[in-house]
Amino acid sequence: MNSNSDHKMPLSQRPEWSDVTPVPQDDGPNPVVPIAYTDDFRETMDYFRAIYLADERSPRALRLTAEAIALNAANYTVWQFRRLILESLEADLHEELNFVDVVASSNSKNYQIWHHRRWAAEKLGAEATSRELEFTKKVFSADAKHYHAWSHRQWVLQALGGWEDELAYCQQLLEEDIFNNSAWNQRYFVITRSPLLGGLETMRDSEVSYTAEAITSKPENESPWRYLRGLFKNDMHSMMNDPQVLSLCLTVLKTKNVSYVFALSMLLDLLCHGLQPSEEFKNAAHALTSEAGPPGSDLARTVCSFLEHVDPMRINYWKWRKSTLPAQVV
Amino acid sequence: MEDSPPGSSSDSNSPSRAESFDRDRHVFFLQMMYQLMPSQYQGQEINRLTLAYFAVSGLHVLRSVDSLHKEEIISWVLSLQAHPKNEALLNDGQFYGFHGSRSSQFQKIDNGVWTANGSHLASTYCALAILKTVGNDLSVTDSESILKSLKHLQQPDGSFMPIHSGAETDLRFVYCAAAISSMLGNWSGMDREMAKEYIINCQSYDGGFGLTPGSESHGGATYCAVASLQLMGYIEDGLLSKSASSCIIDVPLLLDWSLQRQAADGGFQGRPNKPTDTCYAFWVGGVLRILGAYQFIDETALRKFLLTCQSEYGGFSKLPGQLPDLYHSFYGFSAFSLLEEPGLHPIRIELGIADNVAIGL
Repeated sequence: MNSNSDHKMPLSQRPEWSDVTPVPQDDGPNPVVPIAYTDDFRETMDYFRAIYLADERSPRALRLTAEAIALNAANYTVWQFRRLILESLEADLHEELNFVDVVASSNSKNYQIWHHRRWAAEKLGAEATSRELEFTKKVFSADAKHYHAWSHRQWVLQALGGWEDELAYCQQLLEEDIFNNSAWNQRYFVITRSPLLGGLETMRDSEVSYTAEAITSKPENESPWRYLRGLFKNDMHSMMNDPQVLSLCLTVLKTKNVSYVFALSMLLDLLCHGLQPSEEFKNAAHALTSEAGPPGSDLARTVCSFLEHVDPMRINYWKWRKSTLPAQVV
Repeated sequence: MEDSPPGSSSDSNSPSRAESFDRDRHVFFLQMMYQLMPSQYQGQEINRLTLAYFAVSGLHVLRSVDSLHKEEIISWVLSLQAHPKNEALLNDGQFYGFHGSRSSQFQKIDNGVWTANGSHLASTYCALAILKTVGNDLSVTDSESILKSLKHLQQPDGSFMPIHSGAETDLRFVYCAAAISSMLGNWSGMDREMAKEYIINCQSYDGGFGLTPGSESHGGATYCAVASLQLMGYIEDGLLSKSASSCIIDVPLLLDWSLQRQAADGGFQGRPNKPTDTCYAFWVGGVLRILGAYQFIDETALRKFLLTCQSEYGGFSKLPGQLPDLYHSFYGFSAFSLLEEPGLHPIRIELGIADNVAIGL
């Protein structure tokens, strides 16, 4: 449905375009998957073809690209030509970002818009930083997991800066929705890449505490479990020896009526990497799993059996894990 | 379980009550789309070749491609190829591939010569896939121009840009480049090592892959990563039994992440804590198939979910009970092929085309 009331009058009836002959699309004979274009789409693109072939870089050409974009925001040829016009006219790129704001409000899941923003922001440099960060925040207020917006925000931070409040922003988003995987990912991005922080290992302890809290409040939430694992990337040895991690798993396993899938899965991974669990651990795990497996069987096998029980969708996977346990695992 | 009596009207509140894959209706849907796409698709005009790929390859998976006029398809697809005026131009920095449609291909009015090269990597992939699907061995294409100019799109970090005039660069286009090279049987157009490095940098802390280094892991991006590595020869068979250190990516973590994408309703999601969607049954299911781990999913639950997205009009929708679209239909059919639905062609996952087409039978 065409909600754009700007071009109610067909181009052929507008005096400012009377000198231009529209160029129809020549699809050739037997085109495949022909589309039933609406009249205004067809006409707008016919006029666009005319100015493109004439390489006309005038204000009216700029306006025409806006109309074409409104009908067809994915057409990268139109965006590309618009950029050429903007450069030729030495247009105000702040104004251009205003234009993109409007287009994005109805087309935000569109790669061309984001590329165009990036092009303009790159030219503006540091002037654009806070504006671009604000713009993505606005997108997140409607959709906190918007993939393009997150990519753009990451690009802005790396190319233009603005890291100061990013960790706090992640915290805010997670307070609003602890299940927001994009916010967890951004948190990881910040702690590993921010030039203002000390890097992963420096941040690790405090991040483990933060994550443990998130996990204990919602043990069924996959995101913080993955994040926790990520804090020990390539360093399973430290993870196995981190008392916070072990006590977290234990806490979850001792809690009644919660999801144990991720806690058990983590325990299994630690065991496979050589964890020597304490008696307390073994007792808690066996107490939990006594319904599912015979007592006295080794811990890893017991954990696998219980996972088959609490995560039946992946029963074949847990069976396979059980059959491929390293020889020396407890 | 009771069957509705024959001839009874279907419940208008549940448009897809089918308990089985309705192949005939899907063929009808694709044939309608092939003849004429509704105006809602005009926003995808720039990628018409991709729409054609969904329709043609979809019909092939459903074993109905013989109903199409193959010569017409071949000539239309070939008319979208960009040709350099002379061989010297192959070093001018442009990419000479295929346009997605006439809307990026401009013909000078007076002399009828195509000017301006707006050819695109994804369109090139779709063009080659379509040609192979209708039985063409690609010798009719100007593959030399494609291969010689492909390298102009590869970036210093190993990623690919889709068009030489400037665009976003991410894993999608690494995949397109790898698939194009694979279909042409020639890797001279890209630096595989560099591409591999970029892919490795896209693996997230949770095992999945994001579209760019640092971005959130995502089912579609993960497919692009794994399929590319497979095509380029960096993933061997029997991967699951190999030790962790011998693989360039973290396979156990990838496996665990991918399997966890099957949600309680049986469908696959693209990211943790997001809704399930038909297409991820292909993207993530495909990853698991490439890893040799497809048997670890719950096929019954997946099938049940997919059938709730099967439309009474034919085709598949993104979410249960919605209207179908061509993209989700194609990936729905492909997902059923992965589930080994009888009567469908098996798919060469990493190329997104039917198996017998991939090997040139």
